[in-house]
Amino acid sequence: MAEDRFPPGTRVRTFHHDPPHHTRLPRYARGKRGVVVEPEGPAELADVSAQGRADAPVEQIYAVRFAARDLWGEGDHHVVLDLWESYLEEDPADER
Amino acid sequence: MARINDVGGTQGFGPIDTTDDAEPFHADWEARVVGLFNALRGQGVFNTNEFRDAIESMEPREYLSTSYYERWFLAICALLERKGVLKPGELEGLDG
Repeated sequence: MAEDRFPPGTRVRTFHHDPPHHTRLPRYARGKRGVVVEPEGPAELADVSAQGRADAPVEQIYAVRFAARDLWGEGDHHVVLDLWESYLEEDPADER
Repeated sequence: MARINDVGGTQGFGPIDTTDDAEPFHADWEARVVGLFNALRGQGVFNTNEFRDAIESMEPREYLSTSYYERWFLAICALLERKGVLKPGELEGLDG
């Protein structure tokens, strides 16, 4: 398999829209900034297979770490979510 | 589409009940619903992500007023109608 798009330590941002179908990106983590912990292995994109389609792409899933403060405005702990690659974009440093 | 299942971080639902009575089912029909699910998924009538999508697509009031396995059953019925296995309304009027 090709090299992962987001190596561990990459700063990423999740998509912000509310898709009209099943997704594994919970609402509380949309449009949020996090850091890639590690790749979890590839899997069919649930958003597409949930529509009964046989053409779901296989994407890398990443464990992504978020600061609770970034998700809810408070808290000192972290939350790690397993997220498909297409949920993420690299977070340019100059926008932080 | 805002979905009623996606309430992570939402206040007002009260504490989560984490008691475990070690009973997987609390009525015979619940086990039969799981059997239905396994048989239909095994036959390729629907996949797991379609099933999740069907539960998440429930009307919010119905979602909040039904039990875990009632949601499974309603989702299976909705998928069987969508897939043409059942005719719309075919289950209505059945006793038991």
